[in-house]
Amino acid sequence: MRLEKCWFCSSTVYPGHGIQFVRNDAKIFRFCRSKCHKNFKMKRNPRKVKWTKAYRRLHGKDMTQDSTFEFERKRNRPERYDRNLAEDVLKAIPKIDKIRVRREEKHHKNRMKGNKAKLLKEAARELEQGINLVKPPSVLQKDPSLTLPQIKVLVPQQQTEENRPMEE
Amino acid sequence: MGGKCPHRSVKKRRYSHKTARRTKFLHKGDDMVYDELKMPDEEKKPLPLDEDLPGMGQYYCLHCDRYFSNVAVRDEHFRTKRHKKIVKRMMGPAPHTQLDAELAAGMGMPDNGPKLMSM
Repeated sequence: MRLEKCWFCSSTVYPGHGIQFVRNDAKIFRFCRSKCHKNFKMKRNPRKVKWTKAYRRLHGKDMTQDSTFEFERKRNRPERYDRNLAEDVLKAIPKIDKIRVRREEKHHKNRMKGNKAKLLKEAARELEQGINLVKPPSVLQKDPSLTLPQIKVLVPQQQTEENRPMEE
Repeated sequence: MGGKCPHRSVKKRRYSHKTARRTKFLHKGDDMVYDELKMPDEEKKPLPLDEDLPGMGQYYCLHCDRYFSNVAVRDEHFRTKRHKKIVKRMMGPAPHTQLDAELAAGMGMPDNGPKLMSM
């Protein structure tokens, strides 16, 4: 029994699931669900569809180079059954899985590094531009004590506190 | 492609898009065309005479997998936008394959074992 990979999205195709298309040159295309099959029939390129693994790999969204990827592979030769080996493999699987998950988390964290500062900056700019949506300029002119001075004091300090006037 | 097509709800006037459907199923895949283009020139066979095809199957566009009735029509085809688009796409990276899908899924290269016979 083999767990094949989907041609389109690279997810695992378990027995009894998905559909298989054999082209007239005997090439086999396996699909994990009708979504992938339909996308194939529309002649879409998996490298250009954002939710596929191929896209995510190509654009640095997922980890690419790692030693944990060397274990799972298609083995086109029969292996003689060895009880000790099978036991060792079963023991190693959860360990390797744990290591891979940890490395993937690290990769994700690394990728998202500069994001928080960027988000804060964008939020601050939006607040500055859209402050009139919360308080019309005429109100601000009449009673400057409402929000404007509060912001002026808060800007040089912490940027997170700037969001307060929006919550009102 | 497709041609004249009355509204689908009018049962009497429906056309069967035989030509459209035929091209859909007989069309070569991207990877087949790519492989054929990559083949060295010596391996390419001369086009066989086939009286069922337009122009006895002698005027063929490899990129678009189409036969034409004569040289003039084929050269006209070479100037179309569709053809140029396909040519451009074929110049790029190789089309997606099952191996690419497996590598993207976190699998290693397939293990075929040692070569049994040295040829």
